[in-house]
Amino acid sequence: MGLMPVGITPDESKVLCQRVLGLVQADSAEVRVAVAADQHLRSANNDITSNSIANRIAIHLTVSYGQRSASISTNQTSDAALREAVEKVQALARLVPKDPEHLPPVEPADYDEPIMWAEPTAAATPADTIGWMRPVIEQARAARVESAAYLIRRVGATALSNSCGLFVHQPHTSVGFSMTARTLTGNGSGWASTQVTHAHNLDLTRIAEQAIRKAIDSRNPAERPAGRTTVVLESAAVRDLLALLVENLDRRSFDEGRSFLNSLFSNETSLEKPGTDRRDPIGSHLFGDKATLVCDPLCPEAPCGTHDGGLPLVRTPWIEGGVLKAMHVGRFWALKQGIKAQPSPGNIIMPGDGLTLEELISRVEDGVLITRLWYLRMVQPQTLLHTGLTRDGTFAIVHGKLAGPVKNFRFNESPATVLKNMVASGIGQRVLGGENAMPMHVPPLIVKDFNLSSVSDAS
Amino acid sequence: MNRRDWMKRTTAAGLSLIANRWQRSMAEAASVNDHFIRLADIPLNKATSLGASFADFHIMQTDSESLFAREQMVQGVVAESTFGCSVRVLVDGAWGFAASDDRSEESLVQLAESAVAIARAQGGWRRRPVEIEILPAFNGRWEQPIEVDPFAVALEEKIGRLLAINQAATGSGATFCSSHLSQVRERKWLANTFGSHIEQSRVRIFPGASVTVTDPRKNEFATRASFSPPRGAGYEYFRDLDCIGDARLAVEQAREKMVAPSVVAGKLDLVIAPSNLWLTIHETVGHPTELDRAMGFEANYAGTSFCTPDKLDTLRYGSEHVTIGADRTALNGLSTIAYDDDGVETAGREFAIIDRGVFRNFQMALGQAAWIGRTSSNGCAYADSFEAFPIQRMPNISLKPGPDPSVTVQDLIAGVEDGIYIEGNNSWSIDQQRYNFQFTGQVFHKIHHGKLVGMYRDVAYQGNSVDFWNACDGLGGEKTYELGGAFNCGKGQPGQAAPVSHGAVPARFRQINVLNTSDEAGNKTVASNGNCNGGKLGQWG
Ligand SMILES: [Zn+2]
Repeated sequence: MGLMPVGITPDESKVLCQRVLGLVQADSAEVRVAVAADQHLRSANNDITSNSIANRIAIHLTVSYGQRSASISTNQTSDAALREAVEKVQALARLVPKDPEHLPPVEPADYDEPIMWAEPTAAATPADTIGWMRPVIEQARAARVESAAYLIRRVGATALSNSCGLFVHQPHTSVGFSMTARTLTGNGSGWASTQVTHAHNLDLTRIAEQAIRKAIDSRNPAERPAGRTTVVLESAAVRDLLALLVENLDRRSFDEGRSFLNSLFSNETSLEKPGTDRRDPIGSHLFGDKATLVCDPLCPEAPCGTHDGGLPLVRTPWIEGGVLKAMHVGRFWALKQGIKAQPSPGNIIMPGDGLTLEELISRVEDGVLITRLWYLRMVQPQTLLHTGLTRDGTFAIVHGKLAGPVKNFRFNESPATVLKNMVASGIGQRVLGGENAMPMHVPPLIVKDFNLSSVSDAS
Repeated sequence: MNRRDWMKRTTAAGLSLIANRWQRSMAEAASVNDHFIRLADIPLNKATSLGASFADFHIMQTDSESLFAREQMVQGVVAESTFGCSVRVLVDGAWGFAASDDRSEESLVQLAESAVAIARAQGGWRRRPVEIEILPAFNGRWEQPIEVDPFAVALEEKIGRLLAINQAATGSGATFCSSHLSQVRERKWLANTFGSHIEQSRVRIFPGASVTVTDPRKNEFATRASFSPPRGAGYEYFRDLDCIGDARLAVEQAREKMVAPSVVAGKLDLVIAPSNLWLTIHETVGHPTELDRAMGFEANYAGTSFCTPDKLDTLRYGSEHVTIGADRTALNGLSTIAYDDDGVETAGREFAIIDRGVFRNFQMALGQAAWIGRTSSNGCAYADSFEAFPIQRMPNISLKPGPDPSVTVQDLIAGVEDGIYIEGNNSWSIDQQRYNFQFTGQVFHKIHHGKLVGMYRDVAYQGNSVDFWNACDGLGGEKTYELGGAFNCGKGQPGQAAPVSHGAVPARFRQINVLNTSDEAGNKTVASNGNCNGGKLGQWG
């Protein structure tokens, strides 16, 4: 199965898009093709438990008659299958009521050449991935901990083409790896992860070492009472919280009065000078001075694609020095409000202050080091309050030093408040998230008054 | 456009056109049926000849259709079909697996070779071999009984119904209303080297809506999502639901919620409706009693479990009122199927997870029973797509009614001095060993002196799974039983989504920790009308 799926090269992908669009009789059409040859390898209790290798193609076609439109997806690429898919989606579209918010397909534009492809990653075989995994499992065995890990080698491409003449093809490769180590006694648990574009940058031994070290260090945790406290959040925790914030920076929700920004903005502007435009939160100082979030598709540490649905994705500050700089604006909403459309970010980069984790810890008199979060869910959309738990290594900080493991906590906190209360930051890292796959390069943070709601017995 | 206008505009030609739109799927399925035994022999023989001690071959076809409407706009009509196959092998005590959308003979041979190669690459350094039990061979065919095939219902009918829901909501004063309908058909074929050849087909459907009311002067908003859970059922389920009535009630309740007093945090008695409790069962009993999870197989993702094998037959998981059973045979159950994805027959394998408060059994897939000294799987394997390795997933897991069939939810409420009656599920979160949970809901009715007296807002309940179920002191009778459930429960790496139902009766729990979510967000609240920040938003379930 070393073979690449059809559609991985721009030429193949163009031919496929043209085959589909050539069958369409509707007024307009847009086709997206996603191909992937993924390898997944999973281990638990220091043995491989399962794997999968799958070549996959997904063709997603949207057709419109005037303002009536419908979509279809299929993984079948024979002429007969494509013809039938086109006929079916055309039949559906004719039956759909007119959507007053329907827009014609996106016009072609210039896109930056993405930097998401590395040949050695694409060339890796299943034997290679097992070869990567085996040493870390042996490392865990040697350290007398139980490990569970997941490795995903991803190679694929996406193409977008439409009846306005747009065609854009972007290939990507990546390797993601995460490992949990658990001690045989004392309930120690540690986790570490990495994600790279280029397989040569993989250093799984170092990741395994971090997970094992955290597991050993987190044995026999003491109970520290819950309550609002200063915390140091490692990058894995930071990325999960920031993803939740960025997902909710949506202009239409704000204009419709159902965003967390409605109350946040109104509270903030009531303090500002008269004459502030109360209908536009862009340019308002809503977060702490140190809060800066940028989408940068060409950031070499965590690149992403350079378009979103055909709209060019370029370096865009979303929050700069605490000031809101951008919100997602859909094409229809942009037209209606007479503002510029803003695609969702494809990655998030947060430049840090450059302090090491030890330096961050040294600045905390009494607090908690949180290495990872888990099961984050919205509790109150009006404030963006989310709940979740700490996991896989939580430690007390006393007088600027780590003071032993503590039991995990449930927290109730809004990521907007986290960005208000951040005091200092460290060095950016690309790590995997608990529940979100967006590439992110973010530093650890010191955050004051973080709301630890209760103690969890989980270890 | 209202529903009647919309129906008038549709043409007979349109209706007939649409009735045939899934023909290709049916033709493909028929062609697999005709050749399945011969087709399956190719990878199974290949795997055996390469040294596999066990192999199975899966073909899976998934068709789905999803509709989304916002106010009077139809903004999503999406059809989806996937078709592919996989080969799983056990060689020298190691699993190998490969999948493809290519079902040619050449590809099937290649899949078997790839799967065997992966398994062999673990040779010489595995610590423990995978061992599986011998399963009986089944030659079976099962089709889920439904009344109306949702794939044969005209698009206009479905769209008309969604637009009517939205119109009922906005007509009653909602600022926004969105509604959706999703339907899925899974067809699966399974053959294995034990000699089984199984063909199965099932359908599920998920209608839902969410209303929002806003108060721009106060920068406030509140929402209420519908209580209609997904079901393993045909279109008749959606057709017979009173969605219009529920949409009107939802608007009323969202409005009331926006001005309701904020709850005072503390210990309170709760009466929880099945529309909320199903999810609590899912998180606090369903996931903790997955045997692979308890044994560390999910440690790197979903976590492990407080509920370890040494607690079998000894742990007091709940009070004597609590019996929670598991099955894959319940009518309209989302997990209902005749054979699981390991080829285990599910009829007769129903089991109690908790029997009168005592923990009695785990959910298992192939090769796991021996870990707890039992002889065979209880039929809980599932793969969510043709490219997914089958893993242990939840059967339908349900709270049995109390012994007195006459007990109503009012009877349970009558036994509460000060408390809350909670309806509808909303936000949920639980730790990676399933001790500490926190749930919210859609509607929180205040109980005082055994009666409902208005509403609260800003409510979340928090607790420990075992303490919570031990605090249960009353259950509704048979007639109060309702089936809730989830379309997409996540587990595994890569993630797999499984549908599962949870039946429940209303239940009463004493002295549960209630939080005020506005306090948690750091906002000062007063327990009276009119302060800013409050209410709840329903996420799509
Ligand atoms: Zn679940």
